Amino acid sequence: MSDDLRSLTDLDRIIHEPARLLVVTILSSVVSADFLFLQRETGLTKGNLSAHLSRLEEAGYVKIEKTFKGKLPLTICKLTAAGQKALAKYREQVQNFMRKTS
Amino acid sequence: MDQSYHEIQQRIRHYWFKDGIGEVAVGWLFIALALYFAGHRVVSPAPNVPLYLNLGLFLVLAVGLVLTRKLISVLKMHITYPRTGYVEYYLEASVSLPAKIAIWTLGILFVVLLVAVGRWVGTFQWIPAFLGLIFGVVLFVLQRTASGLMRFNYHAVVSVLLGGGVSLVDGFTAQYSLSWYYGIFGGWLVVWGIGVLARYLRENPLPEGGSDE
Repeated sequence: MSDDLRSLTDLDRIIHEPARLLVVTILSSVVSADFLFLQRETGLTKGNLSAHLSRLEEAGYVKIEKTFKGKLPLTICKLTAAGQKALAKYREQVQNFMRKTS
Repeated sequence: MDQSYHEIQQRIRHYWFKDGIGEVAVGWLFIALALYFAGHRVVSPAPNVPLYLNLGLFLVLAVGLVLTRKLISVLKMHITYPRTGYVEYYLEASVSLPAKIAIWTLGILFVVLLVAVGRWVGTFQWIPAFLGLIFGVVLFVLQRTASGLMRFNYHAVVSVLLGGGVSLVDGFTAQYSLSWYYGIFGGWLVVWGIGVLARYLRENPLPEGGSDE
């Protein structure tokens, strides 16, 4: 097995989970997004999304801020530099695998 | 979960245009410009007033752009964010002060160039057609790159036809033609925007029990 194929076993399991991968992909396109937007875009329940965000925050991939926009309470989520780097590495590993096996 | 990476990114870019608020706000700015150019016709017999009106264009544009931005921000905060969520895009965060100054400088140079070309050609009657074409191209590019919404192509076609149409009308001064172009096109944008906004509100009622986590 080549190194490229073997690298698939080294995939970042935190990002590899489909719901978290979707959250991280959405956050990679914007400076920040709030909880409601992420919930609508991912189709996850509040509890489920909250659990995934907590996991990403623990890994240092997402920064969560409780704030206000005007009088509206907002839970703002941002992808950190570590999160961007992890997503880029994940995409590279998967693309390498797809190239070698197609 | 089977959407491609780029499809997701494109859908997020489309989100900004989903509620029609941008069209409503820009439409009102165009109507303000229409009133400004109509002012030329009303006060043109008075000496020196057109000169002040020409200088006033920059004031109308500067104040109009600030108010348009504020209107979009307020409407999105009260209408869009509680319903479908808040997003901050890279463009909003990345336009620095030097970049803004550069954009304004280029804008002023562009207007000066238009006036110089008009004087050289001996008529300003072509300006509405030219602006209609410029806005048409901008709207078409916006449709291809950011909004992805077919209605922006309709806006582009209306802009080009309207600009060309008012330029061809005999007996209009350039300012009067511009007033008609901005007025009709601004009204078109406001009506479309309100229609899109009404559908958005129907499809996205306020979430029960608050919008946040």
